[in-house]
Amino acid sequence: MSLEAYASAKQDEIHTDVLLQARQACYKARDAFYSCLEKHSDKKPTEIGSVGLLYPTECKPSREDYVKNCRVSWVKHFDRQYCKTKRTQRLLDDKETRRGV
Amino acid sequence: MLKHRLLAPRPPILLGFGGLLAFLHYNDERRAVKIGKDSYTGSDTAVAPIIGGPFTLVNSENQIVNEQDFLGNWVLLYFGYTSSPDIGPDQVRIMAKVIDTLEAKKNLKVLPVFVTIDPQRDTPAQLRAYLKEFDPRIVGLGGLVSAVRQMAQEYRVYFKKVEEEGDDYLVESSHSMYLIDPKMKVVRCFGVEYNAEQLSKEILKELKKHQVNA
Repeated sequence: MSLEAYASAKQDEIHTDVLLQARQACYKARDAFYSCLEKHSDKKPTEIGSVGLLYPTECKPSREDYVKNCRVSWVKHFDRQYCKTKRTQRLLDDKETRRGV
Repeated sequence: MLKHRLLAPRPPILLGFGGLLAFLHYNDERRAVKIGKDSYTGSDTAVAPIIGGPFTLVNSENQIVNEQDFLGNWVLLYFGYTSSPDIGPDQVRIMAKVIDTLEAKKNLKVLPVFVTIDPQRDTPAQLRAYLKEFDPRIVGLGGLVSAVRQMAQEYRVYFKKVEEEGDDYLVESSHSMYLIDPKMKVVRCFGVEYNAEQLSKEILKELKKHQVNA
């Protein structure tokens, strides 16, 4: 197996957006966005995020910051996770008001 | 008239049925293992499929590495990728903490190895940059897609590209860690439910057990 196969310019390219600093910036922006969602949970969500996540216009700037700091696939992953947790929470909290469940 | 028709073929059918029952009974007795006769290996010996096998990969220094290079060392192996949003970094952090704990507190050397299941994006340079932020001792392995796929198959690791949008994708996998003994035999598999403390404890248990058997 020859190592020449690996000696291409692409090999020196490092994806810095997954390294520690970028990860931490992404987590921070993500947490800021989700706390904004929690804060404005009583407002009507009119904006569409990814994978079906809706958010109110008040959170638009934090959303933009979040999308800027994280990769698209990461945004989708975290959004999906958030929706899933919310759904489970709703199921657990809504025990009183739902019939037949 | 009908009654006669039904009664007439009865004896042969009964005989045939009886014969069948007798045959089944005889067959069962023949196949049964009498209690206490067969050798019982005991519940703590591994009767599981053999996980693991040879591999040839490239490390973060662009050197070719195969399984022979790890003989004589206990190895903690993790199949991950650098573009993992959350689980990957957590697992590598746990791995680094475990290695540290075992060395500092028990003076036991376990070699941490990170094999990328995303060799197309995780070049040696990428692995080096990523892993050194956690612990310089972690060995990063990548290489040809076919080589990684073969190793993943040997270790029964599932991995699949998802959310693919051009060059941006996630890799779904089981995120488990394998503890391998100095003879390159997989002794245990740990899932994400283990935190650093529990993992250290379990690894210590295995190391002690191995010393007793050695």
